[in-house]
Amino acid sequence: MSSPVSTRTDAAVTISISRDPALVRTVRLVAAAVARRVDADEALIEEIRFSVGEACAVMIGTGENDSASDGHVDVRITTDDHLTVTVSGRADGTDANMGEMGLDPWALLRGLSDNVTVEDADGRTTLRMSWPV
Amino acid sequence: MDLSLETRQQNDRTIIEVGGEIDVYTAPKLRECITGLVDEGHKDLIIDLEKVEFMDSTGLGVLVGGLKRVRTHEGSLELVCTQERLLKIFRITGLGKVFAIHGSQAEATAQ
Repeated sequence: MSSPVSTRTDAAVTISISRDPALVRTVRLVAAAVARRVDADEALIEEIRFSVGEACAVMIGTGENDSASDGHVDVRITTDDHLTVTVSGRADGTDANMGEMGLDPWALLRGLSDNVTVEDADGRTTLRMSWPV
Repeated sequence: MDLSLETRQQNDRTIIEVGGEIDVYTAPKLRECITGLVDEGHKDLIIDLEKVEFMDSTGLGVLVGGLKRVRTHEGSLELVCTQERLLKIFRITGLGKVFAIHGSQAEATAQ
């Protein structure tokens, strides 16, 4: 029997969602699917799924603040020797309770990975995180 | 999976068993549940997270808000959680020191 041929190729997936909290789960599912495609182990798939969901959650918020309801959030996932996720949008979703605890809105993501950068420009926040795969 | 919430009374404590995903979409439902219970006079809450499959910072925020709410009524909010992936986010945020986290409902109600 011949050895299986690797089907792994570099890939890019881009998703743009409206600021609807119900759509964050869809983004999490896509991120997990892309991570599976590059043969990430289950622990890494879970970390990527969590991180992408968390990033979108902070960008979007629960929708209880009317002023945060317009616009969209863009998510781009690329794979080469790293799986890189870029999430950009207006970061209006910082939960007041977390803020009152003195926590940075990105505290969870920064705690999970050293490879997290956040940039603010022209009223939009761009968060980038990557994992070797 | 959506969020499931089951509430029951055990002596003077109210236990909320949470299942599914506590995320930016579903967390408001948990907040409504906690707020409703406290408003009805249930100020000593145990929230069982053992069947939770996902929780983001919005969920943490709801738990922190719930803790503040019960404290204003001189009540308590304690957690049941043994899942490492959830305990990890409590540790990262430092909230593991804020909440009493038990290994089982029996342990929580024995306090």
